[in-house]
This record gives sequence, structure tokens and C-alpha cells, in this order.
Amino acid sequence: MHGRVKVKSTAQQEEEKRKEREKKLKAFVSARDAVLRKRSAGEHDEEALQLTQQLLSSNPDFATLWNYRREVLLQLETSREKDEVQKLYESELHFIEACLKVNPKSYGCWHHRSWVNTRLPQPDWTRELGLCDRCLSLDERNFHCWDYRRVVVKESGVSVEQELQFTDRLIGSNFSNYSSWHYRSTLLPQLHPQPAPDSASNTSPSPTASPQIHSHRVCEEQLLKEYELAHNAFFTDPNDQSAWFYYRWLLGRAEREEMISCVYVSRERERVSVAFSKPVHAQSEGLMLVLDGQPQQVEWRSTHPRLRHSPVWLCDLPPGSVSDISNEHNLTVHWTEKYTHRDCALYTGCAESWCRDSATDQELFRSELSVEKSSVLQAELQSCNQLLELEPQNKWCLLTIILLMRALDPLGHEKETLAHFQTLKEVDPMRSSYYSDLCSKFLIENTILKMEYAEVRVFSLSNKNLTTLCHLDQLLLVTHINLSSNQLLRLPPQFAMLQCLEVLEADDNAIESLEGLYHLPKLEEVSLRNNQICKLSDLESLASCTKLTRLDLRGNPVHKTANIDSELSQLLPLLCKSQAFVV
Amino acid sequence: MTATLFSPNTLLLDKHADYIAAYGSKKDDYEYTLSEYLRMSGIYWGLTVMDLMGQLSRMNREEIIEFIKSCQHDCGGISASTGHDPHLLYTLSAVQILSLYDSINVIDVDKVVDPFHTLFGVAGLSLLGDEQIKPVNPVFCMPEDVLQRIGLQPDLLN
Repeated sequence: MHGRVKVKSTAQQEEEKRKEREKKLKAFVSARDAVLRKRSAGEHDEEALQLTQQLLSSNPDFATLWNYRREVLLQLETSREKDEVQKLYESELHFIEACLKVNPKSYGCWHHRSWVNTRLPQPDWTRELGLCDRCLSLDERNFHCWDYRRVVVKESGVSVEQELQFTDRLIGSNFSNYSSWHYRSTLLPQLHPQPAPDSASNTSPSPTASPQIHSHRVCEEQLLKEYELAHNAFFTDPNDQSAWFYYRWLLGRAEREEMISCVYVSRERERVSVAFSKPVHAQSEGLMLVLDGQPQQVEWRSTHPRLRHSPVWLCDLPPGSVSDISNEHNLTVHWTEKYTHRDCALYTGCAESWCRDSATDQELFRSELSVEKSSVLQAELQSCNQLLELEPQNKWCLLTIILLMRALDPLGHEKETLAHFQTLKEVDPMRSSYYSDLCSKFLIENTILKMEYAEVRVFSLSNKNLTTLCHLDQLLLVTHINLSSNQLLRLPPQFAMLQCLEVLEADDNAIESLEGLYHLPKLEEVSLRNNQICKLSDLESLASCTKLTRLDLRGNPVHKTANIDSELSQLLPLLCKSQAFVV
Repeated sequence: MTATLFSPNTLLLDKHADYIAAYGSKKDDYEYTLSEYLRMSGIYWGLTVMDLMGQLSRMNREEIIEFIKSCQHDCGGISASTGHDPHLLYTLSAVQILSLYDSINVIDVDKVVDPFHTLFGVAGLSLLGDEQIKPVNPVFCMPEDVLQRIGLQPDLLN
């Protein structure tokens, strides 16, 4: 028909495309085979440069070809004058730039460019810095370019001040620049370092002090300016995360001291339980146990086979060494790798003993933001609350306020914290699991603190929407635990660290796995009503809890198993033998 | 977002497995050939996904092991593909594949140890049995203790 544009049919188009690709593939394969053949034959000539150029232009990530190209260039260098070498490598830089246009994040290209600059008789660092500026203006987060920039800065002696001004410009033109903020955090401590504490300069360095050439912290005067900068950024654009992350870095994060946090001794079991401030591999830590001045030959074991790195380790004392209750004993655990130790006295008439720093003393739960003084944290909390009034649904603001409140007064701010978490889950539902887990963590921390203030060994956290368990290493001394009416899915291997547990209540959860109920020497009563324990095999580990006398499984799918009573008596013979009450 | 009305809310495991099982036979495909420079890692990624789906047996174990053998160089390092240069990345991928197949010893293990000086290298050393290094899970390429701490179980996709 007239006036109708002739359009090729889809089938025709497809066929043409297929033929085109087949052609391209053939060309690529023959060039590749030719190159690899030349390489094996050890040929380092112009043809090698041409072939590799052809291939790398469309496929700059083919790393082997850059390697070959370097071999060829080194060979050619030997037969050229200095100014020819300069030209040779300058054109190489030109070629690399073309390849970078194809893939600005090609490891091969950036690496080759760095190498070329080491071969150039006269490198032009200004040009290189310009290239970085251009690449970063196209993609502010190209980490290859940032790394390359750091190399250029180092080689050409650009000052830290200049680089800091560079970040000023980038951040000033666009607050959403995660890489610039990050770069800033590395420059500031060099330019405005926090002065070292006075005592360090006078005394000889103790073996426990970590050798720091310079602190990663910034001096107070500059820090206050940086807070203002961060405020400007997140008041202007509260939804951009980069300023918030920078702000959290400014507020500081305390490092926990490496130490033995608890030593527990049981006369009856003649066993020592040790809790460390972080997960360790006991056999590699140079642990030494001294009883009444005598070093003991002991074997350390973890509380669960799946925990090869664990904060809690156990060992058995030689039989009869502490079993006589009329004797007093002094025990010391030495952690020789960290030059620290902990003593524990086992008094006459006492069946057990322990030595533990309180969580408050250890500043256990303040490691999120606690380097700053309270007055600074308080002022920052006020600023964030002001922003919250303007932007009540801003998740970054809410989360930062939660962290600030925890750093200042975790128990005092508990109610507000829970309210903020509720808001967070509403405004950012995609991360509601994260918030639930984080809230669970904070509630567990608060319960540990309350338990300590009350000086009891009962841990109770029921009906609190707990979705996860953590800090189980802090519950080594707990005898009773109530986790009922929550949303727990499992009692993980870490639960086996509760070496003193006698009673467990965990009704009305969604627990499927009881892995952590494993060799708990004092466990007598377990209530797991209305959970999700489905198979008999899920109960296997309970056989290792030899003092278990009461087990309530009503409301679990497994409870409907045919002949549940006889099945259980086979699986848990000790439980059923002892006139136990199994439901 | 209207897309959610029509997009599936479960993984189409069979289709994913079929796709990966067929992927290796795409030797006449342009993109496949162009990605030859990372072939060893590509194989590793495909194998781990099949393993997570419980379908590792559909992959050609013998062919892959022969391929790895052909990629080990005199220096001990392993390349992404035959004729390419050895590199830490692909040496690690090869070691991870062989861990999955429990066949570490088809390569010259003693020689492999030399090129490792980075985090990837440390992971590789761990898989090769170095006792001074934490155990590493070859599927997740993360230390076992981290997986335990965050409660990540490998049987995610059943």
C-alpha cells in the first residue's frame, strides 16, 4: 500500500541480530586465539600491541591481555630513547582513557594506568588529578577512581589541606556524597588529630596498650565544627544517609577492652566456666589455669560443637581438687595473649563461686556511641529532636535518636526508645525485621542491667516482641529464664552458654529448634508450650541435659505424634526414668 | 507499585536451576565468550547456587575438575580459564569449587599456598586446611563463626 513504511518482520530482525553477533563472536575468538598463540610463542612486538588493543577496546576486563601488553611495552622500552618512551606511554594513557569510557570501573584499566605512571620518564600528575576530577563528576562513588586519586595525591605531594578543601567543594555542591564524607573522615584525623592523653607520654608503654601511631579521632574544636557541617547536611536533606553515617562516626564508637568478664566455679561438677569479652578460640589464646598457686593441666572446650569460636569456654578440674566443701580455694585464669587475668575465690561452705565485672562497669552496652562526653551527646540529642519535630517520619533521625538515648541512659529512655522503634517499623516497613532484632537486642541489654541492679539471677523478658536472642554470653550465671510470649524461632547453639540454667520458660513463641539446649548441667524444668517443635529429632539434644525432670510440650506439632509417650521415653530415657513429669 | 501485582512472590527454583544447568553449554554465545576472563568465578557462582537449591548433582563435576586442573600454572596459581594468567581471585574460586566437591587434592595444594596475602588469600588458606586460620564456609565465603553468630543456615532454599 502507498505511504506505508516498510518494517522488517521481527523474525528477520532477530536473524540479522543473530548473524551480527555470530560475526562479532568469530572476530573476537580469532583475535583471542591469535593473541594467546603469540604469547605462548613469546612474541613481544607491535602486532601484539595491535591485537591486544583491538580486544581490550571492547573488553577492558580481560586482565591477561593487560599483563601481556605490559610485557610487550617493557620489551619495546629497551630499544627506545627516553623521549620515545615518553611518547609510547603517553599514547598508552590515551588508550587507557578510551577503555575507561567503556568501563570506568575496570580493575585492569586503573591498575595499568598506575603502572604506566611508574614507567613514564615524566609523569603528569596534574593531568591525572584532572582525570580523577572528571571521572568523579560522572560518578561520585567510583571507588577505583578514589583509590587512584589517593595514589596520585601521595605521589605528587598534594597536601591534606587541599584534599580537605576538595571534599568541602564536593560536599558543598552535593550533600549526598558518601565517598567524600568517607574521604573526609580519613583526612581530618591527620590534620586535626586528637591529642594523646598526658599519661601516655610519661610512662613506658604497657604491653596492653595498642600501638597507635595516630588516633583516628579528631580534636574537640574541629569536631564541633564537623557537627555543624553534619547538621547542615541532614537538616537540608534529612533523607540522605551519607551525612547521617558521617555523623555517627563523629559521635564515636568505643572499643571494648579485651578481658575475662566472668569466671564461674562449680564444686559439684568440678568445672570452671570462663566468659571472655569477645569470641575466642581457647586453644590459641595461651590460657593458663592456676589453682591455689599451682598451674593445672586442663583441656578447654566450647559449650556447643558448632561454636568453635565462642566467648564462653569450659574446663574440668582434676577430680577431687575442689570437691571438699570444707576447703577454700583460689583460682586464677590467665589470658596470656592479652596480658590479663581474673581471680575467683571459692569459699568454705559454698557450692559455687564467681567473679564478674558488672555490665555497667564494663560499659558493655555503650559501644555504639560513647566516646563523646555526656554533655556533647545531650546537645546532639536536642538537635536531632528538633529535626524530628520538623520531620517526624524520618528514619535516619529516629534511629540516631535511639542510639543517642542508649548512649546517655538506656534504662531511663526505654519507653521512648520502644515508641520510636514502633514508628520506625511503620515508616520503614522493608526493614522492620532489622528494627525488631535491634529492639530485641536493646531490650535484652536493659534486662541484663536491671538484673544486675536487683542482684538477682533471674532473667525475665516475656511479651516483648523479641525476635532474636543475643548477649547470651552475659547470661552465664542465670538460673531462671522466662522468654514466654515472644516471637523467637529458635534456641540457638549459643544458648548452651547458660551453664547455670535451672528453669526455662519459653511458651508461646514459634520455636522450631532446640540446638542450644545442649549439656546444660543444671537444667531441670523446661516449658515450651505452644511452639513449633515438629519432629522428635528436634528434641535430641535434650538427652544431654541429664538433670531434666520436667518437660512441657503441649501445643507443639510434635505433641500429636502417635505414641508420643513411648517415643519420648526412648529418646529421653533419663527424663522418663526419674518419675518425671513429661507432658 | 503495580509491578508487585504480576511478579511472583516465591522463587522459581526449578527454572533457576534449569537456567544455570544449561548455562555452561552456551559456548557459541557472545557474552559468554566475552566473560571468559572470569570463567572460574562464574562456575563457582553457578555451583554455589545449585548447592543452595540442592541440585549440585546436575552439574558436570568431572568436566569442571578437569578444567580446574588445566588452569593450574607452574607457580601454583590458577587462572580463570585455559591460557589465561593465574590470579588470586580465580585461585580462590577454584579452591572453593574443589571444597564443594571435596576434591582439594586434584591440584598441587602445596604450591597453591604461595600467592595468598590478602583476605581472599586467607579464606583460601583456610579451605586448604591451614589450622591457624578460622574455618571458612565455601558456599558463603564467610567465617563459620560469623555464620553461627548471625544464625545463617545453608538450607535456605528448599
